[in-house]
Amino acid sequence: MNSRKLDDETLTSSLQLLAEEMASLNAPPEIEQKLRQAFRAQKVVVPIWRRRAPYWLAAGIAAVLLIAISVVALRSRTEKPNQTTAGQVEQPRIKEQPVHEEPKVVVDQTAPKEHQQIAQKPRRPASRRAQNNEVANHVNREIATDFMPLGYFNAATLQDGGQIIRVELPRSTLMNFGLPVNMDRYHEKVKADVFIGVDGLAHAIRFVR
Amino acid sequence: MNLKSEPGDNELLRSMLAGDEEALALLYRRRQGSVYRFALQMSGSKPIAEDVTQEVFLFLMRDGRVFDPERGSLNAFLLGVARNHVMRRMRVDQVLTPIGDDGDDDAGLMLADTDLCPLEDLTRAETIETVRKAVLSLPPKYREVVVLCELQDTSYEEAAEILGCAIGTVRSRLHRARALLLAKLRPAEQVEEETSATLKSERCFA
Repeated sequence: MNSRKLDDETLTSSLQLLAEEMASLNAPPEIEQKLRQAFRAQKVVVPIWRRRAPYWLAAGIAAVLLIAISVVALRSRTEKPNQTTAGQVEQPRIKEQPVHEEPKVVVDQTAPKEHQQIAQKPRRPASRRAQNNEVANHVNREIATDFMPLGYFNAATLQDGGQIIRVELPRSTLMNFGLPVNMDRYHEKVKADVFIGVDGLAHAIRFVR
Repeated sequence: MNLKSEPGDNELLRSMLAGDEEALALLYRRRQGSVYRFALQMSGSKPIAEDVTQEVFLFLMRDGRVFDPERGSLNAFLLGVARNHVMRRMRVDQVLTPIGDDGDDDAGLMLADTDLCPLEDLTRAETIETVRKAVLSLPPKYREVVVLCELQDTSYEEAAEILGCAIGTVRSRLHRARALLLAKLRPAEQVEEETSATLKSERCFA
């Protein structure tokens, strides 16, 4: 028992020696400096609204961009149908210009390809006229007959191209082509488009009202 | 007068959490020693002790609001945090070699070569080193009670608070730890003769 008691006392004193020896031990001062730096960094960031400001800002910008993109997308979607409907409305106007399309019918019996080429040429002035509203409206309101061949007409002449000239003719001219004439307006002149080839000769004519 | 005018730990903690850097410095200087020594005595490694000390106060800076003064002192809170960090580091680093409860280790063999009463013959420095090694060789649950109650001079109540166990458990573990230390510090022959029976009976209390 005595030896054990002695051992306990010795152990206690030994532990006390160890405790006294280590009592002077402290953490190195660098840790305090690191902690201070960390504290300053944390302190700068501590305010929640400041710390999270970039996230809020980024989220806000992203939301605004998303809304803007969606609005643009919606507008473009709604505008596209409008454009198509507008196109659909405008297309009949172009079709209503029989003045330039008629030559097809006149010439087409022998060479359809040539017809197409000739038919394209009258469209150019029509498109130019379309730029001028008055002329375009004027053209749109016109009703014309088919182009009727005049003397010296052949496919080769059409292939070379030509020019359409608006002229005013006596109403009696209609009778020459077998068209009915309103006798009440017999003295009035009638408008006609004359297709003049590169040779300077009139090759086709249509009457316009 | 000066001591009375010094702010307490809780007050310093509040000031620190409010952004007072000097409060952090005061609190650190006041409590770093116990945290550092506890980590050093538990791990036996200065780098680990330094890392743990830094981690403990970083935790206090970030999550100091979780400390509840009604549940215990700030020192106990810091040591509890330090204990968790030390245990984590010990698991990860595996710096310490696990040693069983039989006491048949290097420290015991070293002492056996000297004398029948080695503790009396050793010089102070040798004694300290021997005891330090013996403490380090204890299993963690016994080591921490020795460190707290014998080396840090912590009360049983506070040790129980730090370790999260009952005071009775602290006492029994300390008793067992002291027996183990004696077994490690005495020659192997005496251990077999004198402590075999007592150790068996004392296991029941651990």
